[in-house]
Amino acid sequence: MTALARTWDRLTLPGRALFILVPLLALLTIGLIVVIGLFGGQILDILIFNLPIVRFVFAATVLLLLAPPIAFVIIYMEMKIIALMNLRVGPDRVGPWGTLLSTVHGLKVLMKEDFTPSRADPVVFTWAPVVVFSTMALSALVIPFAPGLFAQDLNLGLLYFFAIGGLTVVGLLMGGWASFNKYSLLGGLRSAAQIVSYEIPLTLSVVGLVLLAGTMSLNQIVQQQGTSGWFTDWFAVRQPLGFLIFAIAATAEANRTPFDLTEADSEIVAGFATEYSGMRFGFFFFAEYIGVFIISALTTVLFLGGWNAPFPFPHLSWVVDPGSLGIGLLFIVAIVPVLGTLLFAAPFYLFRSKTRWWVALIIGFVLFNVAVGGLFGLWAYINFDWVAGLFWFLGKTFTLVFVFVWMRGTLPRVRIDQLMGFAWKWLLPASLLNLFVTALAVLAATALRGGAA
Amino acid sequence: MATQTPPRSDAPPKAPAGTHPSADDPHVLLENEYDFYEPIPPYPPRTEREAEFYTLGDGEMFLNMGPQHPSTHGVLRVVLKLDGERVVDIDPVLGYLHRGVEKLVENADYHQTISQVDPLEYISSLFCEWAPVTAYEKLLDVEVPRRAEYIRVLSGELNRIASHALFMGWFALDLGGLTPILWSFIERDEIVEMLAALTGQRMLFNYFRIGGVNGDLNHEFLSRLGDWMSRAVGQIDANIALLNENEIFVRRASGLGVIDSETAMRFCMTGANLRATGVPFDLRRTHPYSIYPELEFDIPTRTEGDSLARYLLRMEEVKQSIRIIDQCLDKMPDGPIMAKLPRLLRPRPGRAWAAVEGPRGVYGAYAISDGTDQPFRLKIHDPSFIHLQAVGALLPGNLLADTMAIMASLDPVMGGVDK
Repeated sequence: MTALARTWDRLTLPGRALFILVPLLALLTIGLIVVIGLFGGQILDILIFNLPIVRFVFAATVLLLLAPPIAFVIIYMEMKIIALMNLRVGPDRVGPWGTLLSTVHGLKVLMKEDFTPSRADPVVFTWAPVVVFSTMALSALVIPFAPGLFAQDLNLGLLYFFAIGGLTVVGLLMGGWASFNKYSLLGGLRSAAQIVSYEIPLTLSVVGLVLLAGTMSLNQIVQQQGTSGWFTDWFAVRQPLGFLIFAIAATAEANRTPFDLTEADSEIVAGFATEYSGMRFGFFFFAEYIGVFIISALTTVLFLGGWNAPFPFPHLSWVVDPGSLGIGLLFIVAIVPVLGTLLFAAPFYLFRSKTRWWVALIIGFVLFNVAVGGLFGLWAYINFDWVAGLFWFLGKTFTLVFVFVWMRGTLPRVRIDQLMGFAWKWLLPASLLNLFVTALAVLAATALRGGAA
Repeated sequence: MATQTPPRSDAPPKAPAGTHPSADDPHVLLENEYDFYEPIPPYPPRTEREAEFYTLGDGEMFLNMGPQHPSTHGVLRVVLKLDGERVVDIDPVLGYLHRGVEKLVENADYHQTISQVDPLEYISSLFCEWAPVTAYEKLLDVEVPRRAEYIRVLSGELNRIASHALFMGWFALDLGGLTPILWSFIERDEIVEMLAALTGQRMLFNYFRIGGVNGDLNHEFLSRLGDWMSRAVGQIDANIALLNENEIFVRRASGLGVIDSETAMRFCMTGANLRATGVPFDLRRTHPYSIYPELEFDIPTRTEGDSLARYLLRMEEVKQSIRIIDQCLDKMPDGPIMAKLPRLLRPRPGRAWAAVEGPRGVYGAYAISDGTDQPFRLKIHDPSFIHLQAVGALLPGNLLADTMAIMASLDPVMGGVDK
């Protein structure tokens, strides 16, 4: 007992936490195994009976869990790309090429003081970041990432997206109002004016697309863009004006440069987020970058063909039956890693005299793993539809994210009157024109085919 | 919404005996129901203008911008009276950077004053030295060696380019552009490094001396300058192209903060801000000093008088400065860099005025000597202070977003304003 007490005294804080947590987890695991062993069949029956609900809960959890990593990636991209555009080095201290910096930022934000101004409305002040973050994350529920990889295939998916996405403004307004700060108030009001104005061209620019597609289900919209396998099927080609309007309005909707008036640092300090600190600020921050990802994803889904490849690939088949290898399997498992590591390490050791042998071995091992990972990815791409879909979807989405970041590095900010004037005087008429022309074309096409309009 | 001024006639509640003395301070005792959130002046209004400003009309509100705002240049505090986003009226509050330089100068001998006036406009320190030094030379009747004059012009024009590079970056940053400031800082840093090789410091050079300069041209300075001059025009053109062809930038800056030549002259504006209204007033040509009459350069002017014109004009001036530097290097004579002067200077009693054309306008110095080794008075005429006056005429009617952009386009440096 004394030994235990002495050990306890010597432990650090994380050590003590682990000391308690590990036995608890072990107990929990054993309990779960017992429960599943006893009532597994019944639990499974209940879950299968309520499959839609289970799917929804699972997808929402996954999306909420995936949100911070996606935000981390985009924040790192933004830091690094803007640094390169500014002729700076950018983050390069934490992790290889500074890749862990945004993660460390996230941890730092968790540890900072959560400060509420004395005259703020504490309830509204606290809930504002929650509203912003959850609406942003929940609007991703209808986005089809790959064939079969989506949370819900709503037949009103597009409408759901705009409805939930438009709720963000409520959170921003709450934050701006409750902070008891005039800069915050101005930022909140600006976001309200801006998002409400740009919702209209954003929604109208897609109506032409919906007329062509005949559906509002995002899943079916993507499937329609992949009928021939060529990029000419994409709605960006069939609706260029709509694509342009959508891209501009989406930038404003995501509060990104040149439309980032809600948090214009040279004018209103940090806008609605001025008084926020700690993780509440972190939620706003995450929400912004998840917003960038989701808006890019929606643009991809609607106009750039979603998970479809831009041109039809020759169908490859690469199925290996391990059993047919016989003794070769042992050879592959035992010899190839060693040989590969040595092969990749050799040039570093032979041609760079300053590299130590063990450093060369580590480099070789890492490179071998990268190569194997690449081969494995290729195998997965060929054999699984959803891997191929995810590849193209993420490729297109992150290209659009790059464009967002590029604009941030290049463009100054517009003024509020220019912003509103642009929305009402140019984007709205243009989107109406687009809708009108599309409707006429659909009517004409129907008439030519001899069907009733 | 009327102003909520605290009841000033009441004495603040006394703290119980035995508590900390700060408990007497009404600003510390926050449990009192005072509303400290409005930017009220810490005294009853002294003038009619103040009383009028600090009374809110219907639907108006105060916004306290600065002194700690991400984009004020230095520590300027501006109380804005807003109607929505539109600025109705402003009340600038100066003095956050007041260091009493003019008084310090009166207690230092003539050589020491140079380092005192240095940090006035820390962006372009050489011109802050140049004006008083010239005034002292007039008091002392000193002939400055020609090589020293060439070195002064050479280093001064370099400093002008550095200052304009910084202006370009800040102006773009106030309009929301992230990249230009970092691009322009590359040029500024190169210039500042070469000036450090010449003078010994990066920012507050303390280089000009009464009767000459502190050190002769050295190898590091010249080699850096040669390297930079070979690519300067291309680099500056690239930087300018980054902004000049940007539709958003041009649309925001044009027609912003327009000032006509009459008003500008009534405000005593000088430098690029005046020349942007069409008045070709440049001390280097109108009241020639140093060796400028021997050099060939143009005085660019524009007629629009808006922020874009001020920005474009400064970029034109950079090109002219490069021309001047080229000629200085061509014509650089040999000879001494200091006039022969005694260690302790006792100028004749009298007064002298000297002015030079700096990057922001006319830097003037009015020196009065009483025959001792310390100046009796040194009055610094600083262009930033003059130009900041125009803010009161330019801001009202504009949007909140443009307040900082207009201020940035006038290019004030608060070190010079508050002295």
